Amino acid sequence: MRSDTTGFWTPVALSADIPSRTVIPAHVSAGTIALWRSQAGQIAASADRCPHRGMSLSHGFVRGEALSCIYHGWSYGMSGHCVRIPAHPGLTPPETIRVATHAVRDAGGVVWVAEGTPASDPPSLDGLTPLRSLTIEADRAAIEAAAGVPANADGLIEITRDGEDLCLLLSGSQQSQTGVRTVVHVLVATGSHAPQRIAASRNVERLRRMAETASANGNVQ
Amino acid sequence: MKLYDYILSPSCYKVRLMAALAGATLDLRAVDFHPGGEHRGPELLSLNPGGSIPILVDGDLILTESAAILVYLAAKAAPEWLGRASAEDAAREQQWLSFSGRLTTSLGGARLHEMLLRPGDLAALQAAGIAALRELEAGLVEQRLRGRNFLVSDRPTVADIACFPYVALAPDGGVSLDPYPAIRLWSRALRALPGFIEMPGIHRLHELKPEPNLEQSEV
Repeated sequence: MRSDTTGFWTPVALSADIPSRTVIPAHVSAGTIALWRSQAGQIAASADRCPHRGMSLSHGFVRGEALSCIYHGWSYGMSGHCVRIPAHPGLTPPETIRVATHAVRDAGGVVWVAEGTPASDPPSLDGLTPLRSLTIEADRAAIEAAAGVPANADGLIEITRDGEDLCLLLSGSQQSQTGVRTVVHVLVATGSHAPQRIAASRNVERLRRMAETASANGNVQ
Repeated sequence: MKLYDYILSPSCYKVRLMAALAGATLDLRAVDFHPGGEHRGPELLSLNPGGSIPILVDGDLILTESAAILVYLAAKAAPEWLGRASAEDAAREQQWLSFSGRLTTSLGGARLHEMLLRPGDLAALQAAGIAALRELEAGLVEQRLRGRNFLVSDRPTVADIACFPYVALAPDGGVSLDPYPAIRLWSRALRALPGFIEMPGIHRLHELKPEPNLEQSEV
C-alpha cells in the first residue's frame, strides 16, 4: 500500500475470487464497500449502503451491468446512479438517487481500490501469481514478526527461508470485535506447480497461527 | 421413503436437498421440533433413541445419521454423487462427511443458542465454528489448486451436501462468512446446481432468475 501525498491503492481481493455476476464485501480504511463485477466483466466498487432503506449492497446480486439491492431490488450502474426501481417500472429514477463509488483497478490478478486520489498506478506484481486471500486476526506488526521480514513500501512481504517461497501482500488492517484484523493476499512465483502452491497455502496457515498466537499473548514488539 | 423432517433444521435440509438433486421422492412427515420437542416424544424415540432428527425410514431400514442418509439416497438414486473414483476420493469423501459433524456441533450449536435460546457457551461454539470454517476454506483452496471445484472431485458429491447447510447458515449463529472467498465460490456453485432447493435462510441465486418485469397495471 504505497502512500503518497494524494492517495494510495488498497488490494482488497483477488480477481479470481470475484467472477462475473458477483458482489462481495471488501474493506478499505473508510469501512466496508460493495465490490462487484458485471456480466461483461467490469469491476466496480460502491458504498455498501442502499440509499433506499440502508441495506448492505454487498448482500445484493448482480444481473447484467447493474448491482441490485436484495431488499427491494433498486439497481445501480457502474457509475453509481440508480437505473431501476422495480416497484415503479415506468419510472426513470432521478439523477439524485445514487451511491458513492470508488475508483477500482483489476491488475496483476488483484483488485485494488483507490483511497483518496492515487497519483500512480497500483504496484506491479510481475512474476507473481495470486494464490488465495485470508484474514489474520492480528495487526501488520504481528504478521511481519511471524514472517521474520518487514513489508516493503508496496505492502509486500517476501519470505524465502526454510524452503518456503511465498509473498504476502498486506491490505489495510481494520478494527474487529476481538481486536485488529488484516486481510492478506498470498502470492507465489508464476511458474510454480500445484504441489508447491499447496505447500505455500499450508505454510501461510502456520504463519497465521504464529501471528495470531503472538498477538493474543501480547508478544508483538 | 419417509423423512421425519423439520423445516428449519439444516440436517433435515441436507436430506431434502440431496433428494431434490438426486431426483428421489421423499414422503415428508413434519416434526414439531420447536416448541413441541416431538423428537423427544415416545413415537420418535422408538424410531431413534438418540432423540435427533432427521430420521429416514425405508421399509425395514431406519437411518438417523444425516451422512448415512445422504449416502443411501445417492447410492439408490444417483451414484454419481458418491466420490468413489479412487482410494483418495473415497477417503476424502469420508473425511468431509465426518468433518460435517464438527460443523453441526460448532456452527449448529451457536445457531441453536442464538435462534432457540438453547444453553451453551456461545463464544466457544463460535470459535470452534471459525476453526472449522478455516479448515474447510483451506481444503477448498487446495482442491482448486488440484483443478477441482468441490470437496472430493470436480463435481459435487454427498460430502459437499453434508457440509453446505451449516456453513451457509453460520451467520445465524453470529459467525460471519465474509473472510472465506473459497467458501463463497463453493456455496455459489452449489446454489447454482440444477434442481437446487431452498430452505429459510438459504436462498437461490437471484441473478440466475430472469428479471421480473411487472407491467405498470400490475403494480
